[in-house]
Amino acid sequence: MAMIFIRVKRKKSTYFVHCEPNETILEVKAKLQTLSDHPIYTQRLILLATHQVLDDARTLAEQKVENDAVIAMTLRKSTGEWEDIDIQKATYQTLYPDS
Amino acid sequence: MRKEDTVKLISAEGFEFVIDRSAALVSNTLKNMLTSTGGFTEREFGEVRFPEISTRILEKVCQYFYWSLQYSSGKEVEFPIEPEITLELMMAANYLHT
Repeated sequence: MAMIFIRVKRKKSTYFVHCEPNETILEVKAKLQTLSDHPIYTQRLILLATHQVLDDARTLAEQKVENDAVIAMTLRKSTGEWEDIDIQKATYQTLYPDS
Repeated sequence: MRKEDTVKLISAEGFEFVIDRSAALVSNTLKNMLTSTGGFTEREFGEVRFPEISTRILEKVCQYFYWSLQYSSGKEVEFPIEPEITLELMMAANYLHT
């Protein structure tokens, strides 16, 4: 199966991750642990287009995660609750102020 | 997957994009920075700052790197570019030799 990539975002960071569509979310979280130093069990991944929380045991394809999909990473707080989706956007002056 | 096989690109506004080294090497400018034996500190830390490239352009550039890898392995899909970012994107592409 052809490789896809996903964009995993939290605050001011975006991780571009190469994946196979038949990879499970748990496998993706293992990669994110390597990249972000956040342990697997503290991560929750949410498909941004649908706000669906992704299930560890199921694959990307099964949960309709497609090439170039944007996924929000949220972390478990010390209270045990999950933080809200927090993706910062840059604000800047554009060359075309009307667009 | 190892952290050493990735590169962090930082935009003008301080946003960070972590991408595979293989994707970064699509850009000749980045390739020189990351592989030359010269004094680029980028090679040592795997971190490159672009004070002149805005966040949305840098993200588009990273998407292009990944698209480019897929395209060269035979997947023929178009790379979408919104008209309002075309000029800025071309300037960044010129700088990055992409």
